[in-house]
Amino acid sequence: MKKIFFKTLLFFVWFHGVAQNDSLVNRLGEVVIVSDRKLTNHSAGYKVETLNDSIIVNNLESFSALLRFNSPLYIKEYGAGGTSTASFRGTSASNTAVIWNGININSINNGQTGFNSLTVSLFDAIDIRSGGGSLEYGSGAIGGTIHLNDNLKFSNDELVSNQFIASLGSYDTYNSLYKLKVSNSKWTINAGLSYNQSENDYPLLGTDYKNTNGAYENLGFNVSGSFLLTKFSKLNFYSSNYFGERLFSGELPNPTSANDKYQDINYRNLLVYTFENKRLSHEAKLAYLFQEYRYFDDKASETFNFGLSDRYLLNYNVSYRLPKWHATVSSYSEYESAFGKTDQITKRNRKQFSQSFIYDQHINRILYFDAKIRKDFNSDYQVPFTYALGLKIKPLNHFFIRANGSKNYRVPTYNDLYWPGQGNLDLIPESALQSEVGVGYKNNQFSIDVGAFYIQAKDKIIWTPNGDANRPGVWVPINLSEVTNKGLEVVMSYKKNFNKHQLVLNANYNYTLAIDGATDLQVIFVPKNLFNGNLGYNYRRFSFFYQQLYNGKVYTTASNSEDFVIPHYFVANTGIDFKLLNTQNQQLKMGLKVNNVFNKYYVTQPRRPMPNRNFNFNINYIF
Amino acid sequence: MKINKLLSALFIFSVLLFNSCSNDDDGSDNLPKGAYENGILISGEGSGAGTGSVSFVSEDLSFSENLIFKKNNNDLELGTFLQSIAFNDSKAFIVVDNTNTITVVDRYTFEYEGEISEGLSGPRFMTIVGNKGYVTNWGSTSDDTDDFVAVVDLSTYAVEGTISVGNGPERIIAKDGKLFVSHKGAYTTNNIVSVIDIATENLQEITVKDNPDELEFNSAGNLVVLSEGRTIYDADWNVIGNTEGSISTINTSSLEVDSEIVFAEGEHPSLMVVNNGDIYYASNGKVYTIDENAGSLSTTSIVESQGYLYGLEVENDNIYLLDANFSDLSELHVYDLGTQAKIETVSVALGASKIYFN
Repeated sequence: MKKIFFKTLLFFVWFHGVAQNDSLVNRLGEVVIVSDRKLTNHSAGYKVETLNDSIIVNNLESFSALLRFNSPLYIKEYGAGGTSTASFRGTSASNTAVIWNGININSINNGQTGFNSLTVSLFDAIDIRSGGGSLEYGSGAIGGTIHLNDNLKFSNDELVSNQFIASLGSYDTYNSLYKLKVSNSKWTINAGLSYNQSENDYPLLGTDYKNTNGAYENLGFNVSGSFLLTKFSKLNFYSSNYFGERLFSGELPNPTSANDKYQDINYRNLLVYTFENKRLSHEAKLAYLFQEYRYFDDKASETFNFGLSDRYLLNYNVSYRLPKWHATVSSYSEYESAFGKTDQITKRNRKQFSQSFIYDQHINRILYFDAKIRKDFNSDYQVPFTYALGLKIKPLNHFFIRANGSKNYRVPTYNDLYWPGQGNLDLIPESALQSEVGVGYKNNQFSIDVGAFYIQAKDKIIWTPNGDANRPGVWVPINLSEVTNKGLEVVMSYKKNFNKHQLVLNANYNYTLAIDGATDLQVIFVPKNLFNGNLGYNYRRFSFFYQQLYNGKVYTTASNSEDFVIPHYFVANTGIDFKLLNTQNQQLKMGLKVNNVFNKYYVTQPRRPMPNRNFNFNINYIF
Repeated sequence: MKINKLLSALFIFSVLLFNSCSNDDDGSDNLPKGAYENGILISGEGSGAGTGSVSFVSEDLSFSENLIFKKNNNDLELGTFLQSIAFNDSKAFIVVDNTNTITVVDRYTFEYEGEISEGLSGPRFMTIVGNKGYVTNWGSTSDDTDDFVAVVDLSTYAVEGTISVGNGPERIIAKDGKLFVSHKGAYTTNNIVSVIDIATENLQEITVKDNPDELEFNSAGNLVVLSEGRTIYDADWNVIGNTEGSISTINTSSLEVDSEIVFAEGEHPSLMVVNNGDIYYASNGKVYTIDENAGSLSTTSIVESQGYLYGLEVENDNIYLLDANFSDLSELHVYDLGTQAKIETVSVALGASKIYFN
C-alpha cells in the first residue's frame, strides 16, 4: 500500500514540476478539437447522453459502476471488479460497441469490451448513444455505442491545469488519478495517469465467506495533443495505454476454490491530420491498436491462455458544405487489417474496407436530418449493405421530435470462426433492423426525452451442442435465433437554483421486451424494468449526492423458469463533498462516499454476491 | 481437446445466448417433500444459465421434482459443474468440479450434512470403500502431471491423503481391495486404466484405447472399459485422423486385457452401461446392445436420442436416456427395453448427465 502512495506521489511531484507555469483560468477563446465527428455531426434523431467529469468522479471505482448508476445500460458483473459486460435495449453484450476517439475497440477475439478493463476517468467525457450505429462504427454497434473521448482545446493564452484525485476505500481499495492539460493558441497537450488497486475481499452477505481471489490492480496512461500547422490544418494524436491484472473471484458455495488470474494489456495510438476551410474539410487518420489478454488458470503458474490482436487502420474522410442548402456531404473511407491470434488459434488476418456516404441538412433550423449508406468489403465473409436515417424536428421552442432507423450488423468473432474443432467458417454476420421515435422537451431547467424502439435481429450467433450434424456432441456456433426487441425509454433531468442552493436530478427508466422468435419468451439476462436516478444538492462549499438503482428480475433459462432467475434488486449509494479551497486557481475538495448504503444483498450473476455497505474517502485537487 | 476448459473460457469471455425448447412439467406439488427413498435421482451439471442440481423422479415415473437440494436447504445452490454423485448407506456425496467441493446430504431427504471443500482440485468421480472416499481430481488445467486421487475420511470430511496418478483420471470403481481408474485425459488425452492397491497404494497401469471413460464390472467380475478414441488435428486444427474407440474387457486378477472390440475408424462411442449380462453403449446419438461376451459390435440400434444424448442407464425392463440442455431443463426419456417403445418423458435438471437409482 505504502509503495503505491509513494509511486503516486512521485508522479504527482514530477508532473507538478513540469507544470510550474502560472495557471490562469481562461474560459475565452477555447477551440474544442473533436475527435469523433460522426458522433457530433451525424447523430440527428439519436439519444446521446453525456457523462461529464463530475459524474465520472462519483463512480471512480469502476466503469461498470459508473454505467450501472448513470446510464440506460444493463450491466452484468462476475463479482465486483470481475469480468463485466454491458448491453443496450435487451441486446447481447457483443451488440454494444465501445468507441475510442471514433474507433471501435471491441475485441476481435470475442467481439466485446470488458468494462472493468478500461480506466474511464482518464477520458474527458463519455457519451452514450442508444440505437444502431454500424453505419458509423461498424460491427457490433447494434444496441448502441459508448464513446470515450479526449477533448483537446486550444486557448488564446497559455493555460496549465492540473487535477489530482486520490481515494481510499474499504477492502484496501486505492484509486489515484492525475491529469494535466497544457494549451496555448498553437498547441495543446493532455496527459493523464491513473493507478488503482484493491484487495476487493468484501464479505459475501449472508455467508461466512469473503470475496476470495478478487484482488485487482491497474495502471493507465493517456496522452493526447494537437498542433496547429496552418490556419486551416492541424495534427492531432491520441494514445491510450492500459495494463491491468485481476484475480477472478470464486463463486458460492465455495469461493475459496478460485485460483485464476487475468491480465489485460492494451495500447491504442491514433494520428489525425485535419484540414478545414469554409467549404471543405479533409481528415486522414492512421491508427495502431494492440490488445492482449492472458488467462492464468493457476495464478501461481507461469503458463497461461492468451488472445491478442494487432489492428492497423487507415481512414480518409472528406466533407463538403453546401451553405445555401445548409447541407454537408461527407465521405468516410476506412481500411483495416487485423491480425488475431490465441493460444488455440494460429494467426489470422482479416482485411476490411468500408465506404460510407452521409448527407446531412437542416431546413430553417426546424428540420434536421442525416441520410447515410455504407458498404463493407471483408476478406472473410459478406457484410450486409447498411443504411441509416436520422431525423429531428423542432417545430416549437423547447419541443422536439426525433426518429431514426438503421440496419446494423455484427460479424462473427475469431473465436466463433476459428476455435479449434468447434469454430464454424460458414457463419454469416448477425444483422438487425432497428427504428426509434422519441419526443422531448428541453429548457434551461428541465429536459425529458421519451422514446420507443423496435429492433428485429436475425441470424444471431449462438453456441450450441449438436449445432453441426457432422460434429455430433460438439459445441459449435451457428446462426440461429431471431429476436425482436421493443421497449420504452425515458430520460430526464431537472436543475434548480435558488439563492445559493442548487439541485440537480437525473433519471433513466427503461422498459424492455426482448422476445425470442423460437419460444415467444423473454430472452435470458434481459430485465424488463431498469431504473436509475441521481440526485445532487449543492450549497456553497457543501454538496451531497444520492444514486438509486432498480434492476428488475432476469430469467436465466430460455423457458423463463422461475426456478432459475436473478431476483430484482435495489441498490443505493450516497456521498458528501466539502470544498476546503475554492479560488479561481485552486479547488480542493474532500468527499466521503457510502456505497450500497442500505447494505442490500444482490447479485448480477448467480452465486456471486456484490459488495455490502462500504466506504470511500477521496480528495480532488484542481490547480 | 479441452472441452470443459473451453466451455468455461467461453462462459467467461463471451455471452452465450442459448437456444431452447420450452417445457413446463414440474409436478412437485404432488410429492411429499423429503421422500426420495424410492425413485430415480438425476444429476445435472448446470451452466451459465443455472446451478448444477439434482432432480427426483418417482419409481413409477408419475412424479418428479427438480432442484431437490436447493429446495430442502434454504435455497443453497450446488454450483457448477456437477459431475457425479457417490452413495453409501445413508448419504449422497455430490461432486462439483469448478467449486472444488463435494456436498454431503442425506440421500433420502437431501438435507445438507456437510461438505468436503479443501484438498480437492477439479474433482470428478468418487467411490466409497469402508469409511473412506476416493475422489479423482484433474488438478491444474495447465499441468498434466499434478492429477491425483484424494483419500477422504468420511467421519471428518477431511482429505487425509492423495495418490498421484497419470493425467486425467475420470471414473473410479473398487473391487477386492483395488481401485480402478479410467484416464480420459482431462484437457488433453490419455489411454490408461490405473489400478491402485488400497492397502499399499501401489499403482499399476493398463494400456487401453484412447480416452477411456465408463468402467463397469460384468457378471464374471471382469472390468469393462469404454474408450472413446480421439480425433487427431494438425497444427491448424484440421482433422487429419482418428484413433480407435473400443470396448475392452480386463481380467481384474491378471490385469490383462482379455478382449477388445474396436469401433470403426472415426466412430467415437460414448456412454456405456453393463447390466444383466448385456453391454449397452451409445454412438452418434443411437444406443446399441451386445452380449457381454460378444466378439463384435451390433449393427442395429435399439433406441435413438432426439436431442443431445448425455446420459444412459438400464434398470429392470427400462432404458433411460438423458437429452441434455444447457440453457434450460433437460429431458429424461424412458423406453421399454422389450418393445423399445417410449414410456415417459420427464423434465429434469439443467445439463442433465447422470442417472442413479435411490
